[in-house]
Amino acid sequence: MKRRTEKIGERGKPPLPVLLGTRNIGFSRMRGQLAPYAFLSPTLILVTLFFFIPLVMVFILSFTKLDMTNFGILEWWKPVNWSLDNYVKIFTNRFLSRILGNTIMYVAVTLALFNVGMALVIALITTHIKRRTGFAFRTLWFLPRITPVVVYTMMWRALAGPAPMGVINKYFLVPLGIGGGEYLLHTHPWVFIFLVNGFIGASFGMILFASAIESIPKDYTIASKVDGATTWQTIRYVELPMIKWPLLFVTTYQTLSLLTSFEQIMLLTDGGPGLYQTEVWSLTAYHRALTSYFGNTQWGYGAAWSVVLVIIGVVMAVIYLRVFKFRELVEEPKIDQL
Amino acid sequence: MKRLFLLMLIACFVVSGGLIALGQDTETVTITVRCRAKPPMEDWRGNNFIGAAKGLNTDLEAAGDPRRVEVVIIQDNIDWGDYVTEFVLSYVANEEPDIWLTGHEYIGVQAEAGRIIALDALIKEFPGFNSVIDSLWNSTSYKGEIWGVPQDAEARPLYFNKALLGELGWTANEIAALPDNIEKGDFTLYDMLTVAKEAVDKGVVADGNGFWMRPSNGPDFTALYYAFGGETIDVATGKLVFNEVAGLDYYQFFYDAAQTYGSMGGLGLGWGDAWHPGVSGSKVLFWVGGTWQWAEWAELFLKDLGGEAYMWETFGIALIPAAEQGGQANSLTHPMAYLISSQCEDPDLALALIEYVTDYGSNTRHAIASTHLGILKDQTEYKFYKDSRLLSETLYMLDYTTFLPNNPYWGPYSTITYEALAAVVGGDFTPQEAVEFVVDGLQRELGDDVIIR
Repeated sequence: MKRRTEKIGERGKPPLPVLLGTRNIGFSRMRGQLAPYAFLSPTLILVTLFFFIPLVMVFILSFTKLDMTNFGILEWWKPVNWSLDNYVKIFTNRFLSRILGNTIMYVAVTLALFNVGMALVIALITTHIKRRTGFAFRTLWFLPRITPVVVYTMMWRALAGPAPMGVINKYFLVPLGIGGGEYLLHTHPWVFIFLVNGFIGASFGMILFASAIESIPKDYTIASKVDGATTWQTIRYVELPMIKWPLLFVTTYQTLSLLTSFEQIMLLTDGGPGLYQTEVWSLTAYHRALTSYFGNTQWGYGAAWSVVLVIIGVVMAVIYLRVFKFRELVEEPKIDQL
Repeated sequence: MKRLFLLMLIACFVVSGGLIALGQDTETVTITVRCRAKPPMEDWRGNNFIGAAKGLNTDLEAAGDPRRVEVVIIQDNIDWGDYVTEFVLSYVANEEPDIWLTGHEYIGVQAEAGRIIALDALIKEFPGFNSVIDSLWNSTSYKGEIWGVPQDAEARPLYFNKALLGELGWTANEIAALPDNIEKGDFTLYDMLTVAKEAVDKGVVADGNGFWMRPSNGPDFTALYYAFGGETIDVATGKLVFNEVAGLDYYQFFYDAAQTYGSMGGLGLGWGDAWHPGVSGSKVLFWVGGTWQWAEWAELFLKDLGGEAYMWETFGIALIPAAEQGGQANSLTHPMAYLISSQCEDPDLALALIEYVTDYGSNTRHAIASTHLGILKDQTEYKFYKDSRLLSETLYMLDYTTFLPNNPYWGPYSTITYEALAAVVGGDFTPQEAVEFVVDGLQRELGDDVIIR
């Protein structure tokens, strides 16, 4: 941005206050300086109210022992009631490695196979077939995303049900002689967690990738074909390099989204069926902070799990920005500098 | 002119006095009643208050009390954890219900936090409560005071599938004698597992389906801990207790059940989509459940097959077997209780309403519809209660019943001991590791508030 300002100056255009006269220089300069903030203010207010302040509160809560027994009694905002006990409890938790392993597997597999992988495949296929057919297919694929998540997940629970009620067992597995008609969420919980999340997740990337591919000027693909490139070579050397930005965005956004999402897992298996078998980090934070059969919800402890998750998310985002060379992506197109 | 002014002044006083009197006649006090109830079986928990309000208003009118009650009933079947959270958060926002129905084990936490009131003094003004079975008041007492009025009780028995036992070669007489053998301590928990294993080996039930407990944390497990000699509370100090020796036997039992005897496959299942269909659908040989589930199975799962008539043919009910030959069989009762918020402005009216629903008619209505046990003295002699076969046949179980402790730290205690149980069932822990995990967890979480023996 700095370089751009200097360029304008070099081209001989006087700054705005000079044009308006010296009397109004102070006011105009102030107005000029405030204008961007005025435009940003709605977002700033929203982000402050609904992200920054809650984040600070959760951060403070994570150092307290606020729970069901002392709510309304413990003065959690006073430093005298703060300690690192919750973090010690997290990092000495006997099941920490299992929860962390589940989280990594859940994010990596769903992201690689569905949210980016399948999304890219669908986008490429639907942009290389007849436009109307591709559009219709993408619309169909988008249906799970616009279906309420509880309804969508409950449909999957019913599909995975034991024979003879479960559709998958009744019409596919049992006729093929696979398994004994067991409750599939009990025998193969991870498969369903990946599928349920993946089908929704893929639609997001699919739309973005398809739009990006369709916005590539036809000249490039025509030129590559004239040069004798196969379809795969056109995709590999022309289209994929040109959608690097949406790839970065979808990968980063979906990683953070998967790290913090737990609603489908909660509705499908609630972290089971075995102890912490499908429990991911965000679900642990939710369980600790907000659920318990005997009502011993531990808000401070749950907040500590959330804070660690926020830190993991920030670290992941920074890594992605470096891997995808974010700086290069946001540089001015070289053609403008000529 | 002066006289006219005086007359007008008097008239004003008369009119305003009349208006005040009229206003007093129509002073309405809204009492909110919050119940957790599975529809339609448990709806009387809240619905009984409709009739109670009518009766109380008649009493108030007769007594010249200007107040009239209007009840707002909120009841649904949300999870217990959410239900408790809702009360605590709404209390801080001053929007909590006046009457809150909950499990007796929550009393410790809420009493310590000052969110409910002790009822000892008020209860004396309502002699109707004298009809409540004396021992049930123990379940709603904490630190020497009464904090709630018992609403219902239940037995948590061992159910067995007669048809599946028949397939194993048991005669009708042997099946009929099983409850007696269990009561005498002749048929133990490990005898049960042996039969379960035989059923799995012979293909009568699938592997894992020999014996089931509830699919997630809850009170039932404590009954088995008691069966192995475990204690949960120190009477002298009121502190929670964990016995290492009893705990080891308890975890060894569940380890053996899952790893050797083809049982405990129900742990982690969903209630509605797998657990209830599993036990009511004759896929499980033995399981521990609650008497109230009898009504659920009849109404929601087996109505098409004939409901209760089919169930009496297919299922049997017994106490939870003893751990050793000649030992004590048991059950667990988990009374529900009406508590009154400490922010309730008219606790006398709230308690008067509770007295109205704590009578033979109202309570029996609920007991029959939900197959919960009654809470009143001589309720078994009440004609309509006596007519319920399940309630009559399970009544003797109250003689063998155990309770959960009333302690504010029962929540973390239960979570830690259950996690260890789920770990031994899943093969993650050996029984010894489970005990070490529990001792370490309890000491870290509760410190001096727990005694390890």
